Amino acid sequence: MKSISRSIPKKDHGEKMRGQAMYVCDCPTEGILFGRMVRSSVPRAKVANVKLPTLPDGYCYVDKNDVPGTNEVLMIVQDTPVFAGETVEHIGDPIGLLCGPDEREVLRLAGEVEIEYEMLEPTFDARESDVVFFDYAYEKGNTAAAFAQADHIFEEDFETGLQEHMCMETNGLIAGSSDGKIHVHGSLQCPYYVHKALVHALGCRPEDVSVAQDVIGGAFGAKEDYPSILACQVAVAAHKAGKPVRVIFDRKEDIECTSKRHPSFCNYKVAVKDGKVTAMEIEVLYDAGAYTTMSPVVLQRGIIGAPGIYNVPNLKVHGQSRKTNNVPNGAFRGFGGPQTFFAVEMMMEHVAKNLGLEPVDFKLAHLAKQGDSTSTGGKYHFPVPIAPMVDAVLKASDYRAKRAAYQNQTGRYRKGIGLSAVFHGGGFTGSAERDLLKSVARLHKDKDGNVEILTANTDMGQGLFVAFTKIVAETLDLPHDKIILTMPNTDRVPNSGPTVASRSVMVVGELIRRAAVRLKDEWKDGEEQTVTEHYKHPEFMIPFDIKTFSGDAYPTYSWAVNAVEVEIDTYTGAIKLVGGWGSFDAGTPIDENILRGQMEGGFVQSLSYGMMEKITAEKGKIRNNTFSDYMIPTAMDLPKLEILLHVEDYPGGPFGAKGGGELPHVGGAPATIAAIENALDTKLGKAPFLPEDVMNHLREVNR
Amino acid sequence: MVKSFAPTTLAEALKLRKAHGLTLYTGGTDLMVEAKEDASYLFLHKIPELKEIKQDAQYIRFGAACTFSDLIDHPLTPKILKEACGQIAAPAIRNIGSIGGNIGNGSPKADSALIFMVTDSLVRLVCEDGERMLPLKEFYLGRKKLALRRDEIIAEVLIPRQNLDNYYYTKVGARNALAISRVAFAGILDVRDGVIRHCATAFGAVSDVILRPAEIDAMLTGKTLTQAKALRQDYLAAIDQVIVPIRGRVGVEYRKDVCLNLVRDFLDVNGI
Ligand SMILES: Cc1cc2nc3c(=O)[nH]c(=O)nc-3n(C[C@H](O)[C@H](O)[C@H](O)COP(=O)(O)OP(=O)(O)OC[C@H]3O[C@@H](n4cnc5c(N)ncnc54)[C@H](O)[C@@H]3O)c2cc1C
Repeated sequence: MKSISRSIPKKDHGEKMRGQAMYVCDCPTEGILFGRMVRSSVPRAKVANVKLPTLPDGYCYVDKNDVPGTNEVLMIVQDTPVFAGETVEHIGDPIGLLCGPDEREVLRLAGEVEIEYEMLEPTFDARESDVVFFDYAYEKGNTAAAFAQADHIFEEDFETGLQEHMCMETNGLIAGSSDGKIHVHGSLQCPYYVHKALVHALGCRPEDVSVAQDVIGGAFGAKEDYPSILACQVAVAAHKAGKPVRVIFDRKEDIECTSKRHPSFCNYKVAVKDGKVTAMEIEVLYDAGAYTTMSPVVLQRGIIGAPGIYNVPNLKVHGQSRKTNNVPNGAFRGFGGPQTFFAVEMMMEHVAKNLGLEPVDFKLAHLAKQGDSTSTGGKYHFPVPIAPMVDAVLKASDYRAKRAAYQNQTGRYRKGIGLSAVFHGGGFTGSAERDLLKSVARLHKDKDGNVEILTANTDMGQGLFVAFTKIVAETLDLPHDKIILTMPNTDRVPNSGPTVASRSVMVVGELIRRAAVRLKDEWKDGEEQTVTEHYKHPEFMIPFDIKTFSGDAYPTYSWAVNAVEVEIDTYTGAIKLVGGWGSFDAGTPIDENILRGQMEGGFVQSLSYGMMEKITAEKGKIRNNTFSDYMIPTAMDLPKLEILLHVEDYPGGPFGAKGGGELPHVGGAPATIAAIENALDTKLGKAPFLPEDVMNHLREVNR
Repeated sequence: MVKSFAPTTLAEALKLRKAHGLTLYTGGTDLMVEAKEDASYLFLHKIPELKEIKQDAQYIRFGAACTFSDLIDHPLTPKILKEACGQIAAPAIRNIGSIGGNIGNGSPKADSALIFMVTDSLVRLVCEDGERMLPLKEFYLGRKKLALRRDEIIAEVLIPRQNLDNYYYTKVGARNALAISRVAFAGILDVRDGVIRHCATAFGAVSDVILRPAEIDAMLTGKTLTQAKALRQDYLAAIDQVIVPIRGRVGVEYRKDVCLNLVRDFLDVNGI
């Protein structure tokens, strides 16, 4: 390991452990109005009438008519209204916001708002929806010929479910105005997304708005797209009321009404010739929910990764995301990757089994290698370290011996082990870093030689501030306490882009490293100095065309190999996690402990995506809306996970670092389901797979 | 103005209970899930009489305000009860959640109550004017319906002293901690000299109340293991009849399959 990887204590640990960290709900509430959303109770309808209770003095109701700019939340496509327009499109769709000085009174009054609906026919199943939000396709080689010449053709369907982020802290923001300016702060991941959305909805100039981040209690994507919506709502309310307004969701509201991971339906058709996969035809369908939010980019990432880490010479990939009257789905760690990687990993597993081969060997025989072309005709410019990583995981988990032992089991408890291999492309897809984000980062040195890092990137517990501090300190050869880094406020920081897409260390970290190199060169003792750096697109990249899906979708990839061992109780269906092993390559760790923490946490989220987490909804209404009903694993449910770090330096990243945040959430589910398959001696195509599914399966088998 | 009381003697508590009714509050771990702003509480956790654990010739007696942790730590607590309490929630809840509250909540998913049912325990209900003893089975009238009068509180739970060493207990939750039972099964089989002296089973979380099919279990009582083995299919068929699960977080078929698998295993491990 390089010296930079040596771990240091996280900057936020102390204040969080002492309870001193100021989350948005800790901000003083004197003179603030509490807001409670008035939401649709039906999945799809025309709003015929809104009848308000008599509002006491100091209380107000805010809706679409109060939006001073445009009643749109600026995202990728402008279909999300700030407040519902003519229609409501999902249960929980915000119609208005009731605000007032007494929180209980606000709750009571909001409950008394009567909405008259003219019902419209809703759709809850994306497969039955005829509203296609996004439709993409790409091809490579000649699939028709490959299928015509195939020895075998295999076809299967795969499904994955909704996943809720379950942040410890729910969504919450405060808006107020002072000095003729609207200020919004709170639990948000991407200050400039929110900033732009506010300018659009308020119809004001960029300099009339400032956005700041408070300490965040978890994000995972939950605070990527959603805060733009909430920010517009609270800002409109503050504008109308002439007072600061605070909206903090309770747990039920947060689970029922905010975005989740897109459910997916995939169909894979695979041609095999002489024991090798020669072609894949892949259909991908994501349930977008009621509005588009992040769906186009989530789907793009999904279909780019659809053939997995394999070199498939002939490919035909088609993806759609369709509208339903479910809660809009949005960003979630992995961002469209976990769904298709689940499908392709299971498909490869099953094709191998159909051919009577060990899946791991079959997968290894199809690996892409450095110099090979990617699914979109780009290039793997850097080494593909999967083979040694698989090797390490096979050894650590004793996979082969276990796989051999876990055959033809008949007892009450049955064990299984499974393995997956995946990648995650760091940064925005294609040329979006260059064409859309155009990130800017800045270093400011004061007279005493303290260096402040000015970026819009947020630390939401993932340790970004440690990483940035170390990058700058190491480059400038300064002690860590000479580096200043505080939570971003758009008044002070340049737009270095959002804290998403595993991009912050790799892309923004490199910007501040370059800035630090320059500052070092130009360093003048006793003087104030500022250095600004702009994004430079890697020159080696084959230009990406989003219309044809051709070129390098990502400059480089992070890699993961996961093995999971389970033990199934065939009397109760209980699935016990016995072991979990992961080898992860996110380039040089900027801080080893932090990277390990990210890998463990993401691995856990991914495991439970496979075997525990499930949203139960009836006609668009989410039923399990609490921590005791929506299951995520406790420490008692997890084995000690063994995390191995593999390092392939990326020359374009600071000190060789690549994207790490999302990587561990991609491969856990397929490894888990493969393990369950192994235990039950069957083939499965859906995640999550729960105890009830185990029992249903056994009932079928025994019939 | 909401008024709540925290008496330190049982007499005082009963007087307040009679005068004002009030919502009984021991650990609050059930009540606070849906905290009612306008409720008036009678706190029972500061009353030493309700925290005792002792035994007499007939019973092991647990004060209703004893927490799960109190039971787990006490030498008089039977193993089956310790095991069930040890799987409730997580340490923080176990440190304040009480057995009185577990019973008083009237849920078929109450894990300590399942053990009190399978052991045919009694509850001692006290009020200012006197007290009565009721088999727990009769105390449960239906979902959230208890034979508790407005002036009464549960003061004690009494487990008949019997041979509880040979027990079977399985809780099936959606995870290993902080999980409400989706199915729970407890069985007791007291076998001496090859003869079944006592057989008892109880099923939690399948129906509106905890099921305790004593009539069916009686089929095996007094039988030798060989005789019991011959009755196995009849016994299982009868159990199958009484288990009519209701749909909840998990489906009816799931609950039924799991119950029957566990009963079968209970017989298997006992050579029946
Ligand atoms: C996160 C969490 C996890 C949980 N997990 C489990 C679990 O795994 N298994 C399980 O069984 N339970 C579980 N529970 C439920 C709860 O903790 C138990 O039911 C506990 O025993 C309740 O006891 P308490 O003293 O807190 O009851 P309280 O909340 O104080 O009271 C519960 C009810 O009983 C009444 N009551 C209280 N004391 C008496 C009395 N002396 N006489 C008559 N009525 C009385 C109250 O009026 C109320 O209706 C869980 C709860 C939470 C919040």
